[in-house]
Amino acid sequence: MKGRGRALLRLLAVQGAWSYERMIGVGMAYASQPLLGDLESADPVRHREATARSAEFFNCHPYLAGLALGASARAEHDGVAGTQIQRLRTALCSPLGALGDQLFWAGLVPILMSLALVGLALGGGGPVLVGIVVLYNVARMLITRWALTTGLETGMQVGTAISTSWLPRTAARIAAPAGLAAGLAVPVAGAWLLQPMAGRSMLVAVLSACATLALLRWGGARWTSLRVGLVLAVLTLLWTRFAP
Amino acid sequence: MTEVPLISLGLLLMWGTVVGLDLVSVPQGLLSRPLVSAAVTGWLLGNIEAGLRVGALLELFALDVLPVGASRYPEYGPAAVGAVLLAAGLPSGAQTGVGALLGLLVAMLAGYSLEWLRHANARHVHRWSTELDAGSATVIYRLQWAGIARDVIRSGGITVVALALALIMRTRLGGVVQLPGFLTPVLVGAGLAAALSGALRTAGRGRRLVWVGVGLAAGLVLALGVTT
Repeated sequence: MKGRGRALLRLLAVQGAWSYERMIGVGMAYASQPLLGDLESADPVRHREATARSAEFFNCHPYLAGLALGASARAEHDGVAGTQIQRLRTALCSPLGALGDQLFWAGLVPILMSLALVGLALGGGGPVLVGIVVLYNVARMLITRWALTTGLETGMQVGTAISTSWLPRTAARIAAPAGLAAGLAVPVAGAWLLQPMAGRSMLVAVLSACATLALLRWGGARWTSLRVGLVLAVLTLLWTRFAP
Repeated sequence: MTEVPLISLGLLLMWGTVVGLDLVSVPQGLLSRPLVSAAVTGWLLGNIEAGLRVGALLELFALDVLPVGASRYPEYGPAAVGAVLLAAGLPSGAQTGVGALLGLLVAMLAGYSLEWLRHANARHVHRWSTELDAGSATVIYRLQWAGIARDVIRSGGITVVALALALIMRTRLGGVVQLPGFLTPVLVGAGLAAALSGALRTAGRGRRLVWVGVGLAAGLVLALGVTT
């Protein structure tokens, strides 16, 4: 099958037309076009049907979308019935979303950003940050490539390939290092950001942290960290303005 | 107040747009994290220290955010660009807190703009649904590129708002000798609690919580090293 490289590049923009109607469906269709190119000359009717199927509603983590993309493209080339391909896509949505969110948004990203904060506080400066961004993007590209290749190689058997791969095991284990890294970063970043300030500022920071934790814990879903931060900042400005 | 050269503002607008595009559309490569976005902004303005400090503070708030699916979440990337522009023009002391306050405000507004983008994309996709269901590759290309173009406009617009607010506040606050000194510790405290809350939520219950505790203990030892 031709067009793997172009499909891989297009997967970087799989959320380019994200909408409430089809979620990443249009992005999946755009990325699948290079892979379906062979079908266009061999069987134009099948190509149009495959293109239409690829643009249907779909949602999952963007970095793992290659698994569904590759598997669907392979199934289209193998002449699998359209309804079966649609069922495969539907079945992949939730697991690929959950695994990706757990692995990247709740795992790798907090780990690396927490380590970046620690690195900066310890005097690492810009090179630490550059190193972390490069490392993340290399890992991301390797995983995106693995996902596309695995999907293309396994087709309708992609579910088995996912469950026996490194992906579910790693996703299940990454919460512990994420917690460790975030726990490490909080006091170190705090000490660095408050470093030039006097003891009274430390006390104010501790009081602010306690108030924020209390509101986030018992204040209900309306109290996000951003809203709490804004409210505390406004109260501080008012106190500074009107306090005797 | 120090004047900001027009070329610097142009570069910041471009950077803010790239950063905004990175969050959802392309390439999702960590550029939209406030720490990265702010550090590059600081470097572009020749004040990397301000960039790192404002970025670190906003990053603490961002660590509490899970950018999943169709949920609305704040967008810290372009907001951090404006925040650093403001902080870099203020006297040291309260600059981190004042800059971060602007960053939080713009991040909240930017979150609403993401919803507008998703609705606009949905309307466009809906208009062409017959052609999509018929397997038109031309319509797929058109929708994909229109979505990205729309996000460029959105990100650019948010960056313009952030930069404009920063420039106005620089003019107003640049000559003020006494800025609210407690703003930075208040926001640092809130940010630390936000990051901790995010870590606790991700860890869930049981043994994973122990790892957060181990991290905190090790962090406290390291923090002593930072302060001495």
